[in-house]
Amino acid sequence: MDAAIKLENVKKTLGRREVLKGISFTVARGDIFGYLGPNGAGKTTTIRILLGLLRTDSGKLDIMGQDISRSETRKRIGFALDPDGLYDNMTAEENLEFYARIYGLSDYGKQIAGLLEAMGLSDRSKDRVGTYSKGMRQRLALARAMTHDPEVLVLDEPTAGVDPSGQMEVRQIILDAAHKRNKTVFLSSHNLDEVQRICNRIALIDRGEIKLYGETETLRRGMGGGKVTIDTAGDIPQALLDDLKKRPQLGFREFKNRTLLFSPQEGTDISDIISILAGRGIKIEGAARQEASLEEMYSAILKEVEPS
Amino acid sequence: MRDIILIAATSMKNNLRLKIIIAVSIAVILLCVVALIVAFCILAVAPAMEAETIDVHALKVYLTVIVYSSCLIGLGVNMNVFAFQTMTREKSRGNMAALLATPLDVRRIWIAKSLAVYLPGLILGEMLALISLIAVNYVYFVPEVGFLFTPWMAVSGFLAAPLIYLGLSLLVHLIGLTGKPATGNVIVQVFLPVFASLMINLGVHNVLDAASWPFAVTNIGVALTIAVIGVMLRSRLTKERIVLSS
Repeated sequence: MDAAIKLENVKKTLGRREVLKGISFTVARGDIFGYLGPNGAGKTTTIRILLGLLRTDSGKLDIMGQDISRSETRKRIGFALDPDGLYDNMTAEENLEFYARIYGLSDYGKQIAGLLEAMGLSDRSKDRVGTYSKGMRQRLALARAMTHDPEVLVLDEPTAGVDPSGQMEVRQIILDAAHKRNKTVFLSSHNLDEVQRICNRIALIDRGEIKLYGETETLRRGMGGGKVTIDTAGDIPQALLDDLKKRPQLGFREFKNRTLLFSPQEGTDISDIISILAGRGIKIEGAARQEASLEEMYSAILKEVEPS
Repeated sequence: MRDIILIAATSMKNNLRLKIIIAVSIAVILLCVVALIVAFCILAVAPAMEAETIDVHALKVYLTVIVYSSCLIGLGVNMNVFAFQTMTREKSRGNMAALLATPLDVRRIWIAKSLAVYLPGLILGEMLALISLIAVNYVYFVPEVGFLFTPWMAVSGFLAAPLIYLGLSLLVHLIGLTGKPATGNVIVQVFLPVFASLMINLGVHNVLDAASWPFAVTNIGVALTIAVIGVMLRSRLTKERIVLSS
């Protein structure tokens, strides 16, 4: 895997609290990497370390194969943080011009106009940012992140506080950045649905430890085949229910209101369940399969690590 | 240097758009300076001019103190208003973290932010010092004893007072950026009334000859002391401290 971001056994203690307890993960070039975790898990600390705002106590961090303490490396990263750090008394154009000049760009007029156009902010580019809605601010923050055309984007909760239509716009911008502009995206979010929709790889951090890491689809499949519900025409004999319980691959959970609920293991197909039931003379009126969601994975993992 | 100018200019532009705050600050500064000049003229200059023998040296002392205090008020009130406000706002709204995540050097950001608050005060202070020098001369001295001016008056009023506040701006920003802006603000709030009244009294009561070198040298010494404290604390200035104190 050609790594854009690589953390190896990174530890960080703030005050007396060990915020990161030796975390490791790799973000491949071109990934949209979702970084999940509850409040206080260590997400912000990780982002600050990625941006060179905090130093690691131990461990190794590479961004595009370089040390983050080098200013050349920081030029290869764009960021949108929470809070956004935009200057309220300046216009959108002035904010972007300022950052373009910080990154040493000289001919930035077209680049800025193009970004404002792509973010749908052209008609408000001369307005002060203080008059912008949260969604507009987030889009402007994303534009700022891309002003100097960096290879890696580090985005901290880019849709937090944004209304649903604004969230969709921001998501599309992130997807375009990754697919059309070839950026690697590191996205921290609380929004599991968002991460599931756009991230191809995820890591889940809790209490300073990575609890889950890998490709979103693989992880989801590894959690089992989701849920299978089968509606029957009548009651099921207890002997059959006992028999279903004895087959762990089926993951039989309950029979309620003439509906059987299963959480089958990987490799078990809905047709396997149906053929068993049909073979025992059960009349089936309907069957449905629901894939395991990231939300289920998330709650299952956090439940596992909760202290008893 | 290019980075420092860029950040300072942008910060000043951002600050100067806070029109109500600027209007109130200028009104307060003008009120203070006019009150100071009027009080000095009524209580010291006018009686000295009416004496049988005019003591020109005493007049130079009064004028130096007026010029020096006018500059100090311009610089001091400006810093009282903007240093705390700017640091608090920029830290809480993420402007500072965003700047630190760029390739910029943390010391350049510190210097630029200090200059952004200092420079408008410098311009205002120098203008007030110049206006008070000319006004008092033409209202009181020119008809009787001519235009009064000494090189030491220029050093105290136009150089030493600004140097003190340059050092103070760097020091207060260092403290405010790496800790709580309110701590820096307390220093600024206390410094102006305490230091200005101390120096005015030392000058007027001839403990330090305000029209000559002792007053100017003492002020430059104070500026140097503040600068040395700033240099000693410079190692505190790290991205980590700034970010964690935000």
